[in-house]
Amino acid sequence: MSTKKDEAKKSDKKIERVRIMGSLERAVDEIDRLLAGSTDEVEIDFSTCTFIAVEGLEWLEELLLRADSVKRTVRFVNVPPTIYKVFKISHIESLMKAAGGVSSTKLGPAC
Amino acid sequence: MTAISKEQEQILTERAHSLTRQARLSAAVFSQYSQAQVDRIVKAMTTCAIDNAARLARMAHEETRMGVTEDKVLKNLVASEFLYAQIKDKRTVGVIKELPELNMVEVAEPIGVILGLAPVTNPTSTVIFKSICCAKTRNSIIFSPHLMAAESSNLAAKLIYEAALEAGAPKGFITWVDKSSRLRRLSEILFAHPEVDLIFATGGTQMVRAAYSSGKPALGVGAGNTPVYVHKTANVPSAAMEIIISKTFDNGTECPSEQTLIIDREIVDELISEFRRCGCYICDEAEVEKIADAVIDARTGGMNYRLVGQPANLILEQAGIKVDRHIKMILCPLKGELRLHRLAVEKLMPVLGYVAVDSVEEGINRALDINYGGGTGHTAGIFCEDDGVIERYADAINAGRIIVNSPSSIGGLGGVYNHLNTTLSFGCGTGGGNITTDNVGIKNLLNYKRVPRRKNYVISFQTTKNIYSNPGSIEHLKSLKCKNAFVISSRSASRRGHLSMVKESLPEGCHVDVFSDIGTEPDFPTIQRAVQAMRLSKPDAIIALGGGSVLDAAKIIRLFYDYPELNVQELAVNFLDFHHRMVEFPKDMRTQLVAIPTTSGTGSEVTPFAVLKDGFRKVSMIDECMIPDVAIIDAQFTKSLPREITSDTAFDALTHALESLVSTFSSDYTDGLALEALRLIFEALPETLKNPGSILHRHKLHNAATLAGMAIGNASVGVNHALAHALGARFDIPHGRANGVFLLSTIEYNAQIPSKFVSIPCYPLWVADRKYARAAQFIGLKEEAQAVDSRPQVENPHFAMEGSRGQYDGMVLALRRAVYDLGRLAGQPLSVSELGIDPADYQAALPELVETAFSDMSVRSNPRYCLAPEILQLFQAAYAPRVRP
Repeated sequence: MSTKKDEAKKSDKKIERVRIMGSLERAVDEIDRLLAGSTDEVEIDFSTCTFIAVEGLEWLEELLLRADSVKRTVRFVNVPPTIYKVFKISHIESLMKAAGGVSSTKLGPAC
Repeated sequence: MTAISKEQEQILTERAHSLTRQARLSAAVFSQYSQAQVDRIVKAMTTCAIDNAARLARMAHEETRMGVTEDKVLKNLVASEFLYAQIKDKRTVGVIKELPELNMVEVAEPIGVILGLAPVTNPTSTVIFKSICCAKTRNSIIFSPHLMAAESSNLAAKLIYEAALEAGAPKGFITWVDKSSRLRRLSEILFAHPEVDLIFATGGTQMVRAAYSSGKPALGVGAGNTPVYVHKTANVPSAAMEIIISKTFDNGTECPSEQTLIIDREIVDELISEFRRCGCYICDEAEVEKIADAVIDARTGGMNYRLVGQPANLILEQAGIKVDRHIKMILCPLKGELRLHRLAVEKLMPVLGYVAVDSVEEGINRALDINYGGGTGHTAGIFCEDDGVIERYADAINAGRIIVNSPSSIGGLGGVYNHLNTTLSFGCGTGGGNITTDNVGIKNLLNYKRVPRRKNYVISFQTTKNIYSNPGSIEHLKSLKCKNAFVISSRSASRRGHLSMVKESLPEGCHVDVFSDIGTEPDFPTIQRAVQAMRLSKPDAIIALGGGSVLDAAKIIRLFYDYPELNVQELAVNFLDFHHRMVEFPKDMRTQLVAIPTTSGTGSEVTPFAVLKDGFRKVSMIDECMIPDVAIIDAQFTKSLPREITSDTAFDALTHALESLVSTFSSDYTDGLALEALRLIFEALPETLKNPGSILHRHKLHNAATLAGMAIGNASVGVNHALAHALGARFDIPHGRANGVFLLSTIEYNAQIPSKFVSIPCYPLWVADRKYARAAQFIGLKEEAQAVDSRPQVENPHFAMEGSRGQYDGMVLALRRAVYDLGRLAGQPLSVSELGIDPADYQAALPELVETAFSDMSVRSNPRYCLAPEILQLFQAAYAPRVRP
């Protein structure tokens, strides 16, 4: 996995975008550093992400927890359907929220 | 059972959350795997299982003290090697099946998180089997082992999981409940856990029942009680050996294994001798009771679980029967009422009951006694060389697998003795309280997404094969191959000279009989009289001479003359789609039918329709076989038509053209015919009315009716006909005239965006408005600017959706004005009131009219789905005298 960083400034907010390249199989140090630094908002761009391992999912969930505790925002952008479906099946509320989607777990079986 | 404290319960709940979370994340990640990745993992797991088959078998035997280690090795190999051979090439990712003939594919979707139960009788083989199946189908699995076998089950799960992980499987896709005194409770929590998608239950009845009671989808298996019928044609020594192999396999722990033999009396001695020779113990009556005392739990009436999977010698010892040699299996003759015998139940140990029977019937009945005595839906066996007996047996017995000439236990596992799917889980269908009778496997661990492409709708076109048109074409009759003609007509045919025209044109020497009793609305008694007359005449050709009623009647008369066994009520059954209707008409007609229309309206000479009056309603018969063989379109027969009939029938043809044009079944073929028919009617009707003797214009009008007939014969009609049929039948209004009074309303109605679209595959786009516009353009009308300029033009606001004014409104208005003008020119009634129907009578008849019209098949091909209230509005809107739109 490699990443590509873009920086943007919207009003006073400092927003960083990091693109996941290939497989997300472990924590991404660069994103961890951004969250620990002065960035207000981190956008994780999944457009070139091809696979997420269990460890990747666990790290994303933990990352969102950390972001929440330091009042920072982490958003997932350009999530391809294969990855979006992984989020859906995982039933992890925070992942769906970060991806801008609707929670899977709230929906019961319906006809 | 010790009580569990709140704290312990909390710990168990957290453990359940942890297990399911692992499985859930793994299932999510698994969804990304390709077939190649999955197959690599499955191969690694199988190799690991084969490598560890002996180790795991030993451990299972040591832990459970059940069965036979050597047989458990075999079970582990069946669950790995044999399973792999069956599934390795199966597709379980993406498109897994293509059904080109149905224009459909099936796409696999994993189940998700599965809770797998592993039984004490097969603790390692079941885990191997379920693990490999789950990997192949990209599901994650949490194992809940049996407490008495948890060590071996969990070791099997761990070894297989590690091999899978090494091959790239997602972390945590196999997990298990550790052995502890809380194992049962943790399993119960998992049963109800929201993150478990499916329970794959193999185990004792209680656990299976608990799985089904959880409210989750469950694949459970029922209890077995396998009857095996040994028919007199069986190879006795072979049958004996196979039964011994089967019943002693793992000391009888396999639930498909034989429980009671039903043996034909002719071979019972030979078979029992063979069992004895091969090392089995045959009990006498007193010993049977001792065996029953030992192996049956007196409290429950079921087997004594302490003896499950134990060797025969131990069971004999427990029963107090002394034997000083090795015994493979114990055979107990079951005397008295079989259904009530204590040993006529499942015994997962090498104890086998048997009875002798005197016939196949008795054999099957005794097998049914066992089958329905606790093993419904599970397994049965038969040793027999007579296919007929095997078929009768299979038909009678309720079992998911009926094993022929093989050991029922190993045979039931599948893949070894037969081509059944390899399994350790035997579905028993509803007989056993299960959802499937399958040998449960990968097939049952997938969701199947069907992707049906739209059906290719085949459009066919049928009409009369030989059509002779032009004034004087009646001369063609001379070349008709016919020695005995039967003319069907109305009484007026003779008066108008039509009958003599026909008779004179028939081949020389042709005998002619005439039935001229067809009235304006023929009913079935009339048809029967005509058929009776034909039976006496025995014609080889029928000549239908007259208007629509005569032609329709002739079609039905021919049908019942050629096929007297047909039933009119059955033939007239309504249908939604011609291609799927339940009625079957004959394929070929035996007697040729020549249709000579004497009016220019129905087009019946070229259609597959025939209408018959049945009380206050009209029934339609529709089939290709009704189409006449020859049509003679000779306008000389219409020369003397009164003005009123000329106009009525022309409006019938006009309605045909307009309705077939916008019909949901219309096609390029019928559109051309409908448009040309329209053009001819608008051109020829005014001229004919002006100059009734003009054969040229009569001829054009005659052709128009036939062309419109061809159009409706293939595209059908619409709501206008439904309304007209109802009105005509109720108030005795001639068909063409009844059609005319609704035409302005139905064009307006159909040209508006429907409140409900018609769902029919051959009509992918609603185009009625543009088709009316095309008709207007084709007959040379100009767009009416007024409609575009002043928007609220809809006369009946009920027909239009709000804001539904369209780009074709101007042309549709032009068409309606043209129809209005033509009607007025012809003196044709254009509203119900103009027919002289009393408003109170009409009002009173409305409910019946609506119901009749709604049930009329004509509405099925209307481009706008006709809702009952809309049909009522159409009837109401058609009453007031018309003004020019």
